[in-house]
Amino acid sequence: MNRFVIAEPKLCIGCYTCEAACVDVHQEVGLQAHPRLVVTQTAQGTMPVQCRHCEDAPCAKVCPVGAITEADGMIQLNESTCIGCKMCALACPFGAIEPHGSSPLSQQMPYEPYVESAGAIIGEPLAPSAISAPLSSLLDWSAGVRTVAVKCDLCYFREDGPKCIQVCPTKALRIVDSESLSASISAKRRQTVAKTSQVLSGASAAENE
Amino acid sequence: MTTVKTVCPYCGTGCNMYVHTGSAHIAKVTPDLEHPVSQGELCLKGYYGFNHVADRRRLTTPLRRQGNDFIPISWDSALDEVAGKFSAVRRDHGPDAFALFASARCTNEDNYVAQKFARAVMGTNNVDHCARLCHSSTVSGLAQAFGSGAMTNSIPEIGEVSDLIFIIGSNTAEQHPLIARHVIRAQQRGAKLVVADPRQTEMAEKADLWIRVPPGHNIPLVNGMLHVVIKEGLHDKEFIDAHSVGFDDVVHAVESFSPEAVERMSGIPAGQIVHAARMYAGARASVILFAMGITQFSHGVGNVASLANLAVVTGQIGRPGAGVCPLRGQGNVQGACDLGALPNVYPAYQSVTDPALRAHYESAWGVTLPAKVGLKITEVPAAIDRGEVRTLMIFGENPLMSDPDLGALRKEIQKLDFLVVMDLFMTETARFANIVLPAACWAEKDGTYTNTERRVQRGRAVVPAPGEARLDWAVFSALAARMGYAGMNYGGAQEIWDEVRRVVPKTFGGISYARLDKLPGLSWPCPSEDHPGTPILHKDGHFTMASGKAQLTPVLFDPNVLPDAKTKGFTHAITAHVVEHADTAYPFILTTGRRVYNYHTGTMTRKSPLLEQLAPEERIELNPADAKELGVADGDFIKLSTRRGKSIARAWVTERVAPKNVFSTFHYWEANCNELTNAQSLDPICGIPEYKVSAAKVEKSSAAEAKSWRDWIQGEYRVAVERATNAVLAGRVQK
Ligand code: SF4
Ligand code: SF4
Repeated sequence: MNRFVIAEPKLCIGCYTCEAACVDVHQEVGLQAHPRLVVTQTAQGTMPVQCRHCEDAPCAKVCPVGAITEADGMIQLNESTCIGCKMCALACPFGAIEPHGSSPLSQQMPYEPYVESAGAIIGEPLAPSAISAPLSSLLDWSAGVRTVAVKCDLCYFREDGPKCIQVCPTKALRIVDSESLSASISAKRRQTVAKTSQVLSGASAAENE
Repeated sequence: MTTVKTVCPYCGTGCNMYVHTGSAHIAKVTPDLEHPVSQGELCLKGYYGFNHVADRRRLTTPLRRQGNDFIPISWDSALDEVAGKFSAVRRDHGPDAFALFASARCTNEDNYVAQKFARAVMGTNNVDHCARLCHSSTVSGLAQAFGSGAMTNSIPEIGEVSDLIFIIGSNTAEQHPLIARHVIRAQQRGAKLVVADPRQTEMAEKADLWIRVPPGHNIPLVNGMLHVVIKEGLHDKEFIDAHSVGFDDVVHAVESFSPEAVERMSGIPAGQIVHAARMYAGARASVILFAMGITQFSHGVGNVASLANLAVVTGQIGRPGAGVCPLRGQGNVQGACDLGALPNVYPAYQSVTDPALRAHYESAWGVTLPAKVGLKITEVPAAIDRGEVRTLMIFGENPLMSDPDLGALRKEIQKLDFLVVMDLFMTETARFANIVLPAACWAEKDGTYTNTERRVQRGRAVVPAPGEARLDWAVFSALAARMGYAGMNYGGAQEIWDEVRRVVPKTFGGISYARLDKLPGLSWPCPSEDHPGTPILHKDGHFTMASGKAQLTPVLFDPNVLPDAKTKGFTHAITAHVVEHADTAYPFILTTGRRVYNYHTGTMTRKSPLLEQLAPEERIELNPADAKELGVADGDFIKLSTRRGKSIARAWVTERVAPKNVFSTFHYWEANCNELTNAQSLDPICGIPEYKVSAAKVEKSSAAEAKSWRDWIQGEYRVAVERATNAVLAGRVQK
């Protein structure tokens, strides 16, 4: 079974730490600097939404260039082969895939991205900082990034697993794999037996009265 | 790679963290697993908000303004000029022509030295800081009720002990995420949560009962709860008799606040008031958490006093998990207050008007001190206008973003004869300064910070300060020396702290650096080295008032001005109303606040590419019903205006705000809610402005109009900021 990360809306306080961490770790390894989970605040509740790594993934089915594949118990998206056709984003029933890269010229941006003006001050490099692995932090954050689909990759490149789970201060995020899923299913089955027998024995007791 | 443990520079939760440096810069931040408050967690500002430290726009040399340009100068000539001007203003116009804005971002040591400079060297009590704008109503209101204006309990108690949490006017999840975590822990234990807030915040969503309070209507809610408590006999008679005075007046005052009357006045459903009162009074240990949604009103002190009444009348105070907890915003706003960066008190809240207390400080500092209470921050603009304040020094504060009615303030600040700003960056405020001084930041200094639960903690230098940037306290010492005062010659932060311990032994005597190095902080009061600190104040009802008893104060309210007839028969009641109401010209109510990804005026957080990416611009919250009426879709530009000014930003169409309410922040100079807020609606007791209620107009706008507005406001100060930064960088290149 494919593993996936899911949030518990009762615990999520909408603090966005998971989103920030997601951008950070992906940027560090040279992947798209864009959050793969999106904290979504509604009147009904708040939680980050991310890929469910479906067993029969519709995104993989519609990808014309085979950039999305199932391997190692997850749905992987190869950012290098992706042509940015956005079909996967249409197909995903959860809104877990988002195209990301340069914005089209026609998009109205009355506010210059802050870093642009910083970069424009004089052409000296930004202070070295461990978070910018790519060559130029200017390219990294604003113009010039090829638009591709981005989605949760379970931080496959990190030994300690998804970073979002680690940083969430309320531990609202957890990984669901076949073990934890079957444990929860069998626990619920036991509860069902207990509840059913309670109901039935209650009913028979009433009958006997 | 080196690793140093220090305190997060952002909110008053005071999480501890390890800062890891590679070469000369901060590489990453990791949480402290052992800290009792943060317990191995941080929020995104703690983890990712450090880029400003190594940002190349940091100020690295003193600057002098010439016309619209800034010229790099040496420290010697900067200090000579500043000391010269300060001496001149003191001589020609008297000490009270000088004012100092201290900083809740700086250490206890910085603030102690700064206020000592104002009082002992300049000879004025005109020293204040941004607590005036956030919790001055708490400091006044709780001090008058309990004898101490600080949080009564410790944060971990919320998670471990409290079984009812009443959050009123605090967006805890966004502003104190790691305190919200303790609330979630409490809920997991089975504790109940009641939230009163005009907006459906994250905490409101998680509440067992959420009461949507129209902005400015907290007093009718709390008085209504008191009415129910008393009528249903849920009050704690024994506690009231033994530990308080003034109960009868309160009974009398809340008589007219029946749930039905409150519903008629505010629209809050009567049933919710009854429910909230029963839950709060009935729980074993109830704790109140509050913040700007209580304090930032023309009746802020009234709000705080009514909460104090509620806690005392129900006996929900002075026990583990039961108390009244103001959540302080800035990392060291508690400390800046404690150390006397306030115009009416010396360190440890010793009144400047009390001759005995003044004599104590006179002998400690070896000077004669002024007896007159100084000016509050919010009184300074008018005093500048009248020509009374002519010289102003500001460090670690950016009032030209954070104070109300910026349009007016931009004009007033230019009437000063001389303005000195000491900061990390060329800020919107520094742009108007005559002399700009480069300061060392949190990661470059040793010292102590006091978090919202009065926990004094040790901050440590991690990296060297850039260029010629100096420690704030060292600059005051240098100025004092030039002005002929010898009592401020310190060898380091610890020496300053040891002086504080000697001067106010009852509060800080037992909090030594040696102990702080071993412990996760110590909560004041802590009088001796063997004292464990005081996590819970007013234990068992022994209030820190002279009488030992809590003072209950009747609080009267009418949305419009209170008719005289209603106040008859009360000798010392607080009367409250809301200054601005929606009308036909301005049919909306604007309420203001902050968001999780940014910190205040953004000088620090907006230097983090990561945070800036998540939240690049202001989004004004607008209810879907209003959006429909205005023909505005989510993400469209809207123009917000009040009688003071305007701002244009994208709309966030969301049910989080009630119909006819809008919400905006002061993080972005491009669209700052403080262009719109009211600087005239001050609380008569503490001088806090009514940030939370302004009558506003909302119109559909366009990207083009947004751009032209932004260009205008950029012309007002931002262009100069960028140009000045260029001068700084160019100066550095030339050297
Ligand atoms: S880090 Fe956790 S609490 Fe914060 S937004 Fe993400 S899931 Fe929610
Ligand atoms: S698992 Fe990794 S990629 Fe997926 S959401 Fe979490 S941090 Fe992002």
